[in-house]
Amino acid sequence: MRFMKFKRFDFFYDPYLLFSIILLSVIGLIVLYSAAQGDLSIVIKQSVFVFFGILLMIGVSQPDPAFYKNLSALFLILSMILVILTILFGNEVNGAKRWLNFGFFSLQPSELIKIALPIYLAAYLYDKSLPINLKHTFISIIIIGVSFFLIVFQPDLGTSIVVLLAGFYVLFLAGLSWKFIGSTVAIFILSLPFLWNNLLAPFQRQRVATLFNPEVDPFGTGWNITQSKIAIGSGGIFGKGYGSGSQAHLDFLPETKTDFIFAVIAEEFGFMGALILFSIYTFILLRCFYLSFNARDRFCRLTIGGLSLIFITTIFVNLGMVVGILPVVGMPLPFISMGGTSLLSFYIAFGIIISMASHKKLIRQ
Amino acid sequence: MIDLQERFLERKSFIYRLFLVYLMFGLLLIIILYQTFQLQIANYSEYEIAALENKTHEMNIQATRGLIYDRDGNILVKNIPTFNLISIPNKINDPELFIENIKGFIDLNEDEENIFYEKFKSKARYNRELVVKTNLSEEQIARFEVRKHNYPNLLVEKRYSRHSDYPTLLSHALGYIGSPSEDELSNILSKALHPRQETIFSYANGFIAGKTGLEKTFDSTLRGEFGEKVYEVDARGKLLEEISHITPTEGRSIFTSLDLNSHIAANNALKGRRGAVVAIDIDSGGIVTLFSSPSYSINDLSNGISTNAFDNLINDPNKPFFNRALKGRYPPASTIKPALGIFGLQNQLVDWNFSIQDPGFFTLPEDGRVYRGWKKGGHGEVDLDKAIVVSSNTYFFSLAYRSDINDLTEHFSKLGFGKKVCIDCFDEDEGLIPNPQWKRNKLNSGWARGDTVNLGVGQGYMVATPIQLAYYSSILAKKGKTKELSLVQSSINNFTNIDLTNFSKGDWNKLHQSMTNVIDSPIGTSRRLKDLKSFQVAGKSGTAELVSLDSKEDYLLIRENEAQRDHAIMIAFGPMPEPKYAVSVVIENGESGGAVAGPVAISVLKELIK
Repeated sequence: MRFMKFKRFDFFYDPYLLFSIILLSVIGLIVLYSAAQGDLSIVIKQSVFVFFGILLMIGVSQPDPAFYKNLSALFLILSMILVILTILFGNEVNGAKRWLNFGFFSLQPSELIKIALPIYLAAYLYDKSLPINLKHTFISIIIIGVSFFLIVFQPDLGTSIVVLLAGFYVLFLAGLSWKFIGSTVAIFILSLPFLWNNLLAPFQRQRVATLFNPEVDPFGTGWNITQSKIAIGSGGIFGKGYGSGSQAHLDFLPETKTDFIFAVIAEEFGFMGALILFSIYTFILLRCFYLSFNARDRFCRLTIGGLSLIFITTIFVNLGMVVGILPVVGMPLPFISMGGTSLLSFYIAFGIIISMASHKKLIRQ
Repeated sequence: MIDLQERFLERKSFIYRLFLVYLMFGLLLIIILYQTFQLQIANYSEYEIAALENKTHEMNIQATRGLIYDRDGNILVKNIPTFNLISIPNKINDPELFIENIKGFIDLNEDEENIFYEKFKSKARYNRELVVKTNLSEEQIARFEVRKHNYPNLLVEKRYSRHSDYPTLLSHALGYIGSPSEDELSNILSKALHPRQETIFSYANGFIAGKTGLEKTFDSTLRGEFGEKVYEVDARGKLLEEISHITPTEGRSIFTSLDLNSHIAANNALKGRRGAVVAIDIDSGGIVTLFSSPSYSINDLSNGISTNAFDNLINDPNKPFFNRALKGRYPPASTIKPALGIFGLQNQLVDWNFSIQDPGFFTLPEDGRVYRGWKKGGHGEVDLDKAIVVSSNTYFFSLAYRSDINDLTEHFSKLGFGKKVCIDCFDEDEGLIPNPQWKRNKLNSGWARGDTVNLGVGQGYMVATPIQLAYYSSILAKKGKTKELSLVQSSINNFTNIDLTNFSKGDWNKLHQSMTNVIDSPIGTSRRLKDLKSFQVAGKSGTAELVSLDSKEDYLLIRENEAQRDHAIMIAFGPMPEPKYAVSVVIENGESGGAVAGPVAISVLKELIK
């Protein structure tokens, strides 16, 4: 129950999360300046974005969690409509429609769904008897499935899998039976060859193949992984120094400002820099674990748990890709990578988590 | 309470499950941290090198070739600058406009334009230079210079070409350069710091390698060592800035024993006839003259020659490419007679007092076959001295007849026949000393006494090159002291005595006297040379018969065909009695040795002794 009393309103916040997220955002901006090779306009644009993102996060943390519980369905439906609009009117890039253009800002609605879906599921399961029964499981799965397929059709496989996981996390935390989980996993494994051949585009299969043998084609699909490994490896313990990463500055590294920004950190700040980054993320995750343990009700518990797991999944997929143990999929590093909607949705997610951390329900006498 | 109990259980299950997922991801993140550790700390050096190699691009810098000097310090081969117009495509926005502007002051032909447009894109992408026009004239350079300030993307750069001021005079000694073969190129690049990298050329023709002559023999000395420029590059391979620069080590110049003026003299004396002149500095064993005629221009060969002109050279019946001095195979003819004389004295087959009657021919006792001398009726009573002076065939036929063929061939070999005599000549022929074994293998027939008799006058199967004749001449001049010949300045040391038993200093003096009398005596075969000079010269002429004939009348018939005429040969050394130079002259189909080759030998000696 952490809040400041002002004369006319109360200010709700969580010092640990607020501090570490602002810290990450600042680190992100500093690294971006190097990754953008001193292009100040990119950094200024992102700073404005980060500034309003943090304001948004603080703003989102002011209402009582009940507000989100009541409006969660609306959020989800709104996000879905935006996704449908994207499929109909979005900007086509490389055969995929993922962005809605608003002039000054391109919105990627699929990123919003990965927040809206777990919140809605948590709200839906709030007053159901737990562990959840078959009926509610079934309804939840339909909602997850609709969200998933909407994004698959964009097409955006990476995000759709995260959305699928987002839904699944909440169900799992709500006590989904192990039998159900076991049989789902079994079916998934059995259908893997089918999925490999039918669901994955050739370029996606190539990326997976490249992962296991990047040297085969060092200038083709293996280029990104090879160069990323060289960047990280050549950083050593203390790095080459800020702004001195040759891999990043001579364009050997791909996507330095977005997906591969961790390689820039590792190259310029070395293993120490990587360790510091890991520590901040670990701190945030432990705080989330503590908060969900002490959450005031089931809705808050499920929401914090679900959102924090989306957070950790995104971190893992990004870092795994950059260090070369996962295939290359477009996934930003939360609060560090330059970027739009993903960053925005994490500010919103942590705004909601902070709201849940700071608003305590008065226990009835 | 029940509600509370339920809530407690639900929370427990929640925390348990959340913990489980956290644990899983925690482990996965530890794997990532471990992988980062592996990359950054365990394999750091490997990736450090990879990053370094990524961002640097090394370019070799071609060294300029060493010069070739004659013994007086005259430059025989040098590098002369040519000027190329070079553009920097990276700084050109509109190539069409650029070319239009250049054409305003320097003419470009269609080829030059097309090559420019063809290569423009890739050169711009990688920030490399692009040659617009080669070999600018002084006027073109001047036209560019006044407009230079308008063209930051254009420059004039010096590139060398190989050049001799005496392009045809020393062609066969100096040789020429050309594009290296693949093997030669990989050998050249193996000595560079970065074998497969690109090279900044100093020569207009790019990579070059010596192809013949001294350019070939001393190729690695002349070439020098590659320097290196290291650039920082971006991922696309575009050059950014120079990081380091090692200047190339220029090729070392070579200082030869060749004498320019003696080549001019030889050239003037030969007057374009087919033949060769070789002269040796007796004190040092250095070759001062290595001349073969006719010749070709090494400047043309080194810097590019049209296919047509090249075909003309190749198909020329006089074979200008053929290095007669090193590869021409000629019967030594009568020039071998002093060697026979030494052999006879050594083996005590004859002494200076021994004489025979020369009726003008020698009859082989076995089958009565007749070997004729050059003078009908013969020379009367002939001892060794007279036999040399008048070149009596009969004397040497009979001497050879009494010689053991194996001892004789060994003796010839000591005097340099049948083997290479120069340590740094390019592609020297070994000549041939025939012996029974050779004849059986080659001609599948047994050695006849007549074969040995023919050797007595240097005819038959025996052939020698002009350089072997000069070497032989120098051994005679230095009284049995010998040393392998060389084209680079060599010391007066390291001479060895050839093994001559029973042959005293007195014998040498007598031999020198006889050879001097070949020219100075009123009966000497080369007496016509006497008045051509102011110093004494020892010599021996030879006339190599290409067709075996029985009479002079037959020869008059065959000489209608120039190619069947005798070769004229002369060996000589002087000034006597302390000779400084030994010389050999061969003139193909020149007929009389003393009369035709002799004056050439004298002119060259005069030039050298002057």
